[in-house]
Amino acid sequence: MYEEPYRWIEAVGNRRQYLDDQFQQGAPIVALSYLEGILLVTFSRGTPKLYEIYDRIALGGMGHPADLEKLRFNLLDMAHVEGFNRSPSDVTGNRLMKYSLAPMIKQAFEEIFKAPFIAKILLAEVGPQPDRDQFLTIDYDGSFEENRGCAVIAATSSIRKKMLAFLKTQNNGPIDSLQTALDLAVKTWALGSLLHHSAESLDHQDDEDQQPAGAARSHEPDEKALVDHIRLALSEKSLECALLDRTLPGSSKYRNLPPDQTRQLLPALLQPAV
Amino acid sequence: MGRQGDFVQLLLDQGYSFDAPHFDGRGSQPVGQEPLVKATTVLALKYQDGVMVGGDRRATAGTTVMYDRTDKVLELDRFSVMAIAGVPATAFEMARILEHSFKYYRRSQLQDLSFEGKLRALSKLLKENAPAALAGTGPVAPIFAGFDEQHSSGKIFFYDILGAEFEGVDYAVSGSGSPTIRGILHYLHRWGNQPLYQLSEEEAVVLVLRLLMSAAEFDSATGGVNHQANLYPAIKRVTEKGVEGVPVDRLKALFESKVTSHV
Repeated sequence: MYEEPYRWIEAVGNRRQYLDDQFQQGAPIVALSYLEGILLVTFSRGTPKLYEIYDRIALGGMGHPADLEKLRFNLLDMAHVEGFNRSPSDVTGNRLMKYSLAPMIKQAFEEIFKAPFIAKILLAEVGPQPDRDQFLTIDYDGSFEENRGCAVIAATSSIRKKMLAFLKTQNNGPIDSLQTALDLAVKTWALGSLLHHSAESLDHQDDEDQQPAGAARSHEPDEKALVDHIRLALSEKSLECALLDRTLPGSSKYRNLPPDQTRQLLPALLQPAV
Repeated sequence: MGRQGDFVQLLLDQGYSFDAPHFDGRGSQPVGQEPLVKATTVLALKYQDGVMVGGDRRATAGTTVMYDRTDKVLELDRFSVMAIAGVPATAFEMARILEHSFKYYRRSQLQDLSFEGKLRALSKLLKENAPAALAGTGPVAPIFAGFDEQHSSGKIFFYDILGAEFEGVDYAVSGSGSPTIRGILHYLHRWGNQPLYQLSEEEAVVLVLRLLMSAAEFDSATGGVNHQANLYPAIKRVTEKGVEGVPVDRLKALFESKVTSHV
């Protein structure tokens, strides 16, 4: 019955509905460049969401863990075979996205007799200096975007846009320390998470995408709401931080920031009340 | 996912072939002739902080010196190095495979490959390489040295060209210049002022320089120090902090103060 074009479009539309629902539980991921590297941040419950892909490339993923694993392995395979057959400097986020990830996700999304990937992915690639850092994000339908300076993935595109706008307004000029980067990233994460929760509680307001750009919503969270939300998240979940540290010696630039170090870097304001 | 982080299997799945060129016995190279490949000297010895690994920098083909800047002490990951004696083409390829294998394992399995796992990986590559090794076109007899984080100690292993693995408890040597220094190492360890594992970092570097100079004295295929060209052996230390190369300036200073003699 899907042979008719109309049916096919309808089926793809149903898929979007289904996939949007699948991301209701997901936590956003924030990545931003600072002087010494790239910081990736999210809060997770158990399963990690941030991974090392190659020497200078990290991945942040939202969605079904099994789908994320499948895509992650695909990236790992391509990156390592390429790095071996050519050179590690030929392995770039751009090529991984365009020739591995995007075609796979798009094909799965449009093959309506098969299950799509429940995944949104962010790739961060560290360069020799901040203006050479690159970010790529891909949605569940295979559409991808390139960014400089920062990138986020979130449950809906409107939340994502608001988080990006928040990052831009809060950040004037290059970020010079990890502490500042972490502070900004965690607040952006909290904004995304709060918007997500309020959108849910407003019973899936579908009209938010239709709002004129820049229109302030009445319940846009203020600084205090963000801090409270971060405190709550810190007590319920684990804060996951990964770095692509351009100062690291050797070829691999990825490292996870240990939880105790992360807590020390968080400003006193955000420390959970003991 | 089904290959449990095995990079070599991934390469094979992608059509990679281990078939190095080898003679079928009817070629110009007589079977049983001493291969020209072991023309080098590499060594590793344990000292008080870990393992010191060194190698001369000469590459030869027969009696011709092809190159005097080869680095035969190759860093495989943060805690392991491979010092190569053998056909450079094969040895460098092995090092590249191992480097990618260890990274691929860590990134896919989300844990580091164990020290024993790394040793096995090298052994397997040597076994795959056996036909070329026996034909004389691709033998490699490496030393693998690393810092075993689980047991927090430096370790040294050496291999024959077919992949047999032996632990060098205090030191290991390989290459054509190695018989000369093997005796010296044995003597020093047994009857020297102190056993080798008690050497300080500086003493270990000086000893490695002196040993490589001795090997170069008696083995034409081992390069020594070319003072005018500022060429010194490649020396790396492997400690709990990871692999670090000893900088040329330091080698130069130690060479001038502790190695040059006027005999």
